[in-house]
Amino acid sequence: MRKLQVAIAAAGLVLGVIAYQILRDDLHQSVIRSLPAVAIGWSAIASGLIAWRRRPANRLGPLMAAYGLAVLIRPWQYSGEALMFTIGYALGQLNVALFGHTALAYPTGRVTDRLELWLVRAGYVFAVLIPFATLLVYDGGGLRYVPPGPGSVLLVRADHELALDLEQTFVIVVYGILAACFVALVVRKLVLATPRLRRILAPLLLAAVLAALRALTEFAFTFISPVPEFLDNLYWWQVAGQILLPIALLAGLLRARLARAHIADLLVELDSTPPDGIRDALARHLGDASLELVFWLPERGAYVDGNGVTVELPLPGAGRSVTAIAHDGEPVAAILHDPSLDEEPELVRSAGTAARFALENARLHAEVRAQLVQVQESRRRIVAAGDEQRRRIERDIHDGAQQRLVALALELRATQRRLGARVDPDVERVLSGAVEELQVAVSELRELARGLHPAILSEEGLAGALESLAARTPLEVTVAAAPPERLPPEIEAAAYFVACEALANAVKHADASRVTISAVHADDSLRVEVADDGRGGANSAGSGLRGLADRLEAHGGRLTVASPAGGGTRVVGELPCAS
Amino acid sequence: MLPVLEESGISGLALWPARDPRVMIGSMHTTVVIVDDHEPFRRSARGLLELDGFSVIGEAGDGAGGIEAVERLRPSVVLLDIALPDTSGLDVAERLSGGDTRIVLVSSRDPIDLGARVGRCGAAGFIPKDELSGERLTAVLAGTA
Repeated sequence: MRKLQVAIAAAGLVLGVIAYQILRDDLHQSVIRSLPAVAIGWSAIASGLIAWRRRPANRLGPLMAAYGLAVLIRPWQYSGEALMFTIGYALGQLNVALFGHTALAYPTGRVTDRLELWLVRAGYVFAVLIPFATLLVYDGGGLRYVPPGPGSVLLVRADHELALDLEQTFVIVVYGILAACFVALVVRKLVLATPRLRRILAPLLLAAVLAALRALTEFAFTFISPVPEFLDNLYWWQVAGQILLPIALLAGLLRARLARAHIADLLVELDSTPPDGIRDALARHLGDASLELVFWLPERGAYVDGNGVTVELPLPGAGRSVTAIAHDGEPVAAILHDPSLDEEPELVRSAGTAARFALENARLHAEVRAQLVQVQESRRRIVAAGDEQRRRIERDIHDGAQQRLVALALELRATQRRLGARVDPDVERVLSGAVEELQVAVSELRELARGLHPAILSEEGLAGALESLAARTPLEVTVAAAPPERLPPEIEAAAYFVACEALANAVKHADASRVTISAVHADDSLRVEVADDGRGGANSAGSGLRGLADRLEAHGGRLTVASPAGGGTRVVGELPCAS
Repeated sequence: MLPVLEESGISGLALWPARDPRVMIGSMHTTVVIVDDHEPFRRSARGLLELDGFSVIGEAGDGAGGIEAVERLRPSVVLLDIALPDTSGLDVAERLSGGDTRIVLVSSRDPIDLGARVGRCGAAGFIPKDELSGERLTAVLAGTA
């Protein structure tokens, strides 16, 4: 392999010098017009050889080198030597097919798309068959591209007209039809590519522009005489592009290689990266901004994201690829990435391996988060279930016992009315006492039910419930603000209980005379504030406030109590509450 | 939370002295329809109001039945429970308000637990269920309760 590469390098050097000589001596070109072919050829051969050495398994390197050799062979068609002319004319046109093949094989070295494959095949067939056919009939009388010379050594039957027609056919088929197909397929490839792949494929845009320019200039040189000046300028742009393209392809090819060289840096960097920064580090090193990291939770038997939320891995063909990272045969994590990275599986795997310990750490993090999410969810469910139970018991008391007692009281009162003055005073006393007791029982039940869950909260929402609460409290209570709109029932209940508990404390312990309640719903959060003018010094760890804090935290909110001695008490509950 | 009945403005501890049955508080011309889903309450309320001389001409167990009965029987008064199985008595009151029938809301809940709508729904007044009597109803209708 090494010898072959050295041989190609040597051949390239020699062929370049020969090409220059022919262009100068046989075609009588100026120095400046003789250099481009050599520069293009050398650029392609050098880039190809570097790619070949750095990526021995990738066929792109040999392809580029072959393209460079074909470019350098092409000037032989201007040679005065019959054999050199024949070789140059037979092989030189291959450069067009090799150009297309190289571009479409980038970056993997393989052409896999069916249409692209057909185009490459067609390129080779026409680039070989038409020149070969021309050589069979060309007698050296000169063609559009070739000055009169020695003629073909393969001449079978001289037919100058046919040779000219074949040359023209070649231009129409190769620079017309095939070049147009090439441009269309490159555009299609770029449009269909994922963002990361599109970045890698960017040099193909240059290739497409070059193909279009080349086609334009070849058509002009074939069919327009004299060639307009602006087309001559285009020729120079095309030359510059052709020199640059192999270098751009090489750079694109080696970028992944460079990324691998960064794996060592990645390892060092991850040492000081917090678990939630690993994704970014991997995304940067692999050049895939869309990269996602998921962690395997053995006890759940599922992958979760960094927040502990279960993630379904994308199915094959869903436009995302998955690389699993394992440790001692146990899955640790998986990298969800752009499918273009599939071309470099060892790169993704080595990055994943480098990140393994950090990932193991991050996995534990995710595990804890997952448990936390579960605990938070179950806490919310417990509070919600408690609320629901209170609502149900309130309704049961109201619809059941309370109604029966009310009916019984009315019944006894009717009996009293019927008996009137005829009744024994003792009986009358018993009846009156019973009615009285029943009414006390009814109002005690009413208080009990209201303490469990105030019906007005369900009926009228927070604003009505707070007004009702203020009216029932034997202090000067002002409701300074309350959201007029209805909020989720659990949020209304939590906010209501904040006001209830704070008011009860103000009455029982604070020796307060004035209380202000305000509930403001803004910026996706509900803030309930209860401030009294009492003696302060409330203990926020007391069971009432602690229970309230638990209730708020269950809904992702929090409770703060400020109660300096002698400075009143301010209880603030904050609850997340999307508008 | 403290039970603060005194502040509610409604006496929950009223005594009910015996009355002479011959003293008719309501008039036989005052026709009443009772709308409540609780049958024992309807029975007791009917007995109590008839003793006081009201004429109970119909009963309904839900809001839809209540609206139907009121529109068909055109009573002077509808005694309307707030918590009905199919709708809120407040909605029924809003629907019936503006007609010839006067609406008196009843509930076993404290009016303070029912919010401001009780006063806005077009009802002539409110009576806690356990305080219902012909006398109370007459007072509410007279606007002196």
